[in-house]
Amino acid sequence: MNDFLPIFLQLFLVAIAIAIIFHRNQFSIIILMSVFSLIVATLYMLNQAPDVAIAEVAINAAIIPLIYVIAISRQRELIVLDTLHHGQNLSIDSMQGEIYVFLRQFAKQHRLKINLCCDLTIHEKTLFDDMNIDLIIYQNEDNPSHYILKGKSSSVLLTSLQQAKASYSNIALEVFKEEVHYD
Amino acid sequence: MTKYFALPFLILIGFLFWYGTSNLIIINTDIARDYFLNQGYIDTASRNIVTAIYLDYRLLDTLFEAGILLIAVSGISWIAQHEHTEHNPLFMLDKLKIPELFVSIARIIYPIMLLFGVYIILNGHLAPGGGFQGGAVVASSILILYYIDLNKKTSINLILNIEKIIYLAFLIIAFISFFTRDSLFTNFFPLNQDPSIRSLFLILLNVLIGTKVAIGLTAIFVGFLKEGR
Repeated sequence: MNDFLPIFLQLFLVAIAIAIIFHRNQFSIIILMSVFSLIVATLYMLNQAPDVAIAEVAINAAIIPLIYVIAISRQRELIVLDTLHHGQNLSIDSMQGEIYVFLRQFAKQHRLKINLCCDLTIHEKTLFDDMNIDLIIYQNEDNPSHYILKGKSSSVLLTSLQQAKASYSNIALEVFKEEVHYD
Repeated sequence: MTKYFALPFLILIGFLFWYGTSNLIIINTDIARDYFLNQGYIDTASRNIVTAIYLDYRLLDTLFEAGILLIAVSGISWIAQHEHTEHNPLFMLDKLKIPELFVSIARIIYPIMLLFGVYIILNGHLAPGGGFQGGAVVASSILILYYIDLNKKTSINLILNIEKIIYLAFLIIAFISFFTRDSLFTNFFPLNQDPSIRSLFLILLNVLIGTKVAIGLTAIFVGFLKEGR
């Protein structure tokens, strides 16, 4: 049994490594990487290296997946700043109005999660430069039923937003030009 | 498409690794192993030979390793810094749905994990483990706290200051042996002292390294948490 177990585990490692390369869902990949390091830790333990095994379990099977979960859930978010309902704590699903229907549909189409925040009053330039906000909703002052969406010129989503809003006549899209930074 | 190129590379790396390790038997002699097994406890008062090496024979390497962690934490907190005051820095996590099951189990497991981490740190010279491993376990238990309590607030600057002070203390304690034993970076108790007293040095350094690693990894996590905003 003791001769057979390391060989079995090593073959399993190869299978998991190939699965990590070809898998599509990012959260499943995190779980697979965690399993990978658990098996590696078992192999260290079988080779009489308990110190390395503890470090492997603590770092690669616990801390790195936790950091990856945070980092990946960041990428799937569309952060929208709402200037219409300032200071209220709202969720996008309960909102009425054409702009919210449009945003919900857009997010569903691109598999994004909308994060609506209403608690900021900072200058526009700071918002786009420092705060990583994707879109800002404004109400047209002359015509209250018209809305203006403002986005970064460097945002990847802007062209698909342009196409998606073609069927909505009450929504206008404005592009905020960014300055070039020399760090 | 790049995925399909990854597979031959994986096989190539696997082959190189196998080829490299198959020749390892030539340099695998018993001299060093026998020396450390026989002399390790007498020289360093540590039952765990790994701890004996990284806290006594090769303490200089550990100093640089701790320094590298300090530099990494400083770099990440510098990238993640923001000038203006943040209203609700964790607003991303507010809407991240965390399963109730995870939160309930984490609440039960958290104190046990913390205790286990401290146990690994304090027993580093007797059993497998040590400052780095125990610190990582403590850090992962602290990270779970951020999933339980979403409104937890942490000051990265405070963490960085503590980390710097601990690193300085670490350097000073490692340097004391220059005055007491006339050799740099080793145990400051004389060699004819009782092993149970000499192991105090190992416990002290393990606790310092454990604290440093735990708060350093927490700082990296908080830096990632705040970076999105």
